[in-house]
Amino acid sequence: MRLGFLVGVFGVLVLAHAAISTIQYRGLLKIMEEEFSGPPVNVMVELLLGLVLCMWAALTVPGKFLSIHPHSEENRIVSLPVNLDFVIFNHRGRAFPVVTKLKLNH
Amino acid sequence: MAGHNDSEKKSTESTNDLPTFNAENLQSNLKVIYYSRTFMSIIAGVVAGILGFTSLKGFIFYVLVMALTSVGLVAKTGFSIHTFFDSWNQIAFDGFFGGLMSFVLFWTYPK
Repeated sequence: MRLGFLVGVFGVLVLAHAAISTIQYRGLLKIMEEEFSGPPVNVMVELLLGLVLCMWAALTVPGKFLSIHPHSEENRIVSLPVNLDFVIFNHRGRAFPVVTKLKLNH
Repeated sequence: MAGHNDSEKKSTESTNDLPTFNAENLQSNLKVIYYSRTFMSIIAGVVAGILGFTSLKGFIFYVLVMALTSVGLVAKTGFSIHTFFDSWNQIAFDGFFGGLMSFVLFWTYPK
């Protein structure tokens, strides 16, 4: 995520450099009295690079997708109840005969 | 009789299963998509402005970039959309018009 953010910043810087180059190029064209048909090749390469870098940043920085299925690994509830101290497993109910066995004897 | 009961149970289970999903996670996924799209529309606006696109060309460029972003998002899900989203159009069209506003702003701003 951190790396993606840095890549995004770098991409924006590349785009800014391309923008400054285009402004200078347009100024030059104005002096030479020619029409603007498209930026020069190195600016095109910079734009493409910036677009790809920013795309990568846009896809990685905002965070991971989380599964919406209630039965998936991440969404399963595995924690024990909070009031575990009040739950008693060791009580005198153990001394009584088990009801199912009584039924079997009949 | 038993078979009939089983089928009935199954049908009720399936109807129960269909709409149940983790709404909180879905919300967070939609937020992720929204962030991605907003950022990409700003970048697309900057690029379209530098390239000097006018009128229809710029909008076609926007649609192209958004399609590319959709493909990227689908790749991010690992091509299994239904584990993360309700339906197809959530990933394809969510935030399209919201992004259009920022696109036009950054596209026409320097002129």
